[in-house]
Amino acid sequence: MSDTSVTEIELDYESKRLSVRKPEERFDVQGDMSDDERVEKAMVNFAKDFGRVAATYMEACIHCGACAHACPFYEASGDPRHTPIWKLEPFKQAYKREAGPLAFMYKTLNLKPKVTVDELKDWQELLYDTCTLCGRCTLICPMSIDIATLVGMARHGMFHAGLVPHELYTVTEKAQKEGSPLGATPSVFEDRIEWMGDEHEVEMNVNEDQADVLVLMSSIEIQKYPESMAATAKILNHMGKSWTFRTDGYEATNFGMLSGNTGWQKDMSMKVISTAEKIGAKVVILPECGHAYQAMRWQGANMYGKPLPFEVQHISEFLASAVESGDLKLKTVNKSVAFHDPCQVSRRGGATPAPRKVLEALGVELREAESGGNLNFCCGGGGGVITIHRADTLRYKIMANKFRQLDATGAEMMVTSCSNCRQNFDESGEKLNWGKDMNSLLELVAENLVEEGKR
Amino acid sequence: MKEHDLTLGEELRRQGISRRSFLKFCAGVASSMAIPAAMVPAMAESLAQARRQPAIMMAYQECTGCLESLTRSFAPTVENLIFNFISLDFQHALQAASGDQAVDAIKTSMKENWGKYLLLVDGSIPLNDDGIYSVSHGQSHLDSLRELAEGAAAIVSIGTCASYGGIGAASPNPTGAVGVDQIITDKPILNVPGCPPMPEVMTGVYTSFLAFGALPEVDSLKRPKAFFGDTIHDRCYRRTFYDQGKFADSFDDEGARNGWCLYKLGCKGPITHNACATLKFNEGVSWPIQSGHGCIGCSEPNFWDKEGFYKPLSAGQWGSAEGIAAAAAAGVALGAASAVMSRRNQNKISGGK
Amino acid sequence: MTLLDFARGPAMQIAIIIFVVGIVWRLVGVWALPKKKDLSEPRQKGAWVGGLKGLFVHAWPYKPFVPKVGAQYIIGYIIHLGLFIVLIFGTPHMLFFADIVGFTWWTLPGGVITAVAVVTTLALFVALIRRLVNPVHRLISNFDDYATWFVTTAPFVTGLMTTMNMWPDYETGLAIHLLSVWLLLIYFPFGKLMHSFWFVVSRYTTGSRFARRGGMA
Repeated sequence: MSDTSVTEIELDYESKRLSVRKPEERFDVQGDMSDDERVEKAMVNFAKDFGRVAATYMEACIHCGACAHACPFYEASGDPRHTPIWKLEPFKQAYKREAGPLAFMYKTLNLKPKVTVDELKDWQELLYDTCTLCGRCTLICPMSIDIATLVGMARHGMFHAGLVPHELYTVTEKAQKEGSPLGATPSVFEDRIEWMGDEHEVEMNVNEDQADVLVLMSSIEIQKYPESMAATAKILNHMGKSWTFRTDGYEATNFGMLSGNTGWQKDMSMKVISTAEKIGAKVVILPECGHAYQAMRWQGANMYGKPLPFEVQHISEFLASAVESGDLKLKTVNKSVAFHDPCQVSRRGGATPAPRKVLEALGVELREAESGGNLNFCCGGGGGVITIHRADTLRYKIMANKFRQLDATGAEMMVTSCSNCRQNFDESGEKLNWGKDMNSLLELVAENLVEEGKR
Repeated sequence: MKEHDLTLGEELRRQGISRRSFLKFCAGVASSMAIPAAMVPAMAESLAQARRQPAIMMAYQECTGCLESLTRSFAPTVENLIFNFISLDFQHALQAASGDQAVDAIKTSMKENWGKYLLLVDGSIPLNDDGIYSVSHGQSHLDSLRELAEGAAAIVSIGTCASYGGIGAASPNPTGAVGVDQIITDKPILNVPGCPPMPEVMTGVYTSFLAFGALPEVDSLKRPKAFFGDTIHDRCYRRTFYDQGKFADSFDDEGARNGWCLYKLGCKGPITHNACATLKFNEGVSWPIQSGHGCIGCSEPNFWDKEGFYKPLSAGQWGSAEGIAAAAAAGVALGAASAVMSRRNQNKISGGK
Repeated sequence: MTLLDFARGPAMQIAIIIFVVGIVWRLVGVWALPKKKDLSEPRQKGAWVGGLKGLFVHAWPYKPFVPKVGAQYIIGYIIHLGLFIVLIFGTPHMLFFADIVGFTWWTLPGGVITAVAVVTTLALFVALIRRLVNPVHRLISNFDDYATWFVTTAPFVTGLMTTMNMWPDYETGLAIHLLSVWLLLIYFPFGKLMHSFWFVVSRYTTGSRFARRGGMA
């Protein structure tokens, strides 16, 4: 589906990300439904989302094409099909035909023909491979259309029509069955906590019956950046918090949401929510993971069906309030830092000021990249894109742009607060010989605690 | 009856009109009718050879205003003489005869000049109830027109009523009045609309008929193009103020005193085709806009029914507020219905989940 | 009935009825769709303030986007402002509305209006060429885009031709101009011209949604 001829980087399909190898044979179509059934399923699940908000957005588009210029994928490929609003074409078509105020006209006169299975198959690449749900297009849109939310909705229909890219489907199914997309099952999780506790000599709280703070982890951290667990524990211990990891509710990622299965999204969120309820947690701390923030902070209550009985904080928010209240004192780091904002936490999450407060407390010289902060360019790996091998070509191109922007700041140290962004930077950095590492804000804080503050 | 045998040239000589002033007249008519100057000698020659033209002028449902306009005379001019050269065999307001004697004059002229006479019509013709609303000497004007038209060489409808029905046809048109050309379709018809029409137009038309033996070139409304080709607005001396955006807002304001454009006061100049702006009335003394009033569009069909004379041209016929309110209500109903349908459809296709 | 009488009478009334019915229909049709309440704990109160702000922040692109879409916005502004100026400050147009609202207002000289209309028409043609030439625009454009362009441009072209006396006669020109406007009104509710309403709804929606979250939209 993707045009590999545009890349200058040799593709390495064998590389492993999120423990998904390049499949020997791709199965980008799931199940054995007939074509008509697929279309039917897609329509059913598209239709569920045609509420007032989605309708308003789809009515409002004036086809100005501005969104292309905000999209990291279009900017990297120059392919007009990567224009964000174009990615919604079948969804829009279904709306106009089935749910809009003029639907009966469109339907009777067949002005908007029924979406076909071939169209849906063609759009798989556009809805999954080339959209990270970063929402930068909304910023440029003269009508303020929240395209990312609509892409998220369109994925519902795609999932139920069995049209999810192979790797993304695989990890999602794995997450639903095993509790983790990357094989970080409860026992693996427990093992690795123990290992980190020993390695870093930190006291780890696991499966406490009652705790004020429930700490979640993302599979990427458990498997690739386990130091995060130690860092979190160190900080929470340092602050004397009552906290715990729970093996029955630890996975922060939500591939149900990314792939478009609302039922599974709910299952995944409910695991965490019921665990938090069980132990009487007042706060749930989300790890350095972008979409986890979106899933729990902003969609959690809607999955739960009522307001959450606890506060949800991204780790950067937790750290920011700790340094603000003086509970956490940090050593000064004499370095210049460029911060990469994870889209789902900053622009679409609203926690943009939090990491900046923490960096200020660390006394670093913060150098904002061109189009930084809320206007940040996405790393190109979010929304499940990083799992999809055929998306690599563009992802590297996007990352090359990203590197240029960050390098232009001349900062000595690169920091982010999303482990998915981080692994994308690290993996691509190796590929593109960036020669720099992406660092974790959390780990940077853990390394620079002022010990005498300890109670 | 000896004069009937003279040509126009002979008649003019008899009246002491020099060839020089005759040519000057021809040149004037030619220029007003956009006839090339090179054709003037030929036209004069042809005109001089013309013989007295029999004409019958019928007054139907009318006010005699047209006749007033056409017969005004201030000094003996070539125009007057040309008009005098018409053998007007019947005109009820001008002739001394009346009753059977008058009707006989028509019959006689018809018989003598069958197929050659010019029929001049003034006034509209009612159609309702077999034309009973307008009758002379026991004959409805509808029948009269049909009878006279049969033997006519051509018909000239003088004034807006004869041309398009005029005030008689104004809404609600109780008599079913129409113009001549809606009844007679098999004869050459020329319309000279205007309320009243311009006498110079009649001169031009008549001269050209005498010289060339045919009616002049006409537009889609059968009006001579030479006089009705431009709009009042195109030729108006106040046009420059329109272009500059200088308008009189009322009849007694600074703009009105400065002679600015009367568009805002409802002037119909832009949609009215006539020669008033160039020929003017009363031998070039003045014309409506010069006297400070907008054109009312009297030479256009249905000019009575285009809302008020003082309503600006660009104003539309807005319809009623109730209609709009009903439309909005219908919109609410349709919108709500479509949303209900859409919800139902969504439930259906999503299986009620 | 002449063409002008038709244009000023029945055509206008029909067009206005369709215009009103269609707009209300489409707005109500969307507003009456279900809306799920967002149960998440808002970061801050006063989402409506953000909604109102949202109406204005997208009036001009954010700084990093200016080099990319600034020119496009300028063309857009020329078209919108031109349309506004000609519509409101052209004397014949003012008189049209004055007849409805019952009062008159200051207008610009005809020459200025003509100049503005010429510039606007040129901008419309630039926009069309862009739509035809730019690969992104060409791909995402459908019938609606071209139809909308046509019904928007036609009144400008016919209006200019009328003021410049380019028709066989003014009366026909005025009638065609009026009919072209009625075409615009009739098409309005069924195409993207509805953005003159949706831009408020859409911007407010996003503005208020993101105001309760923080972040930026």
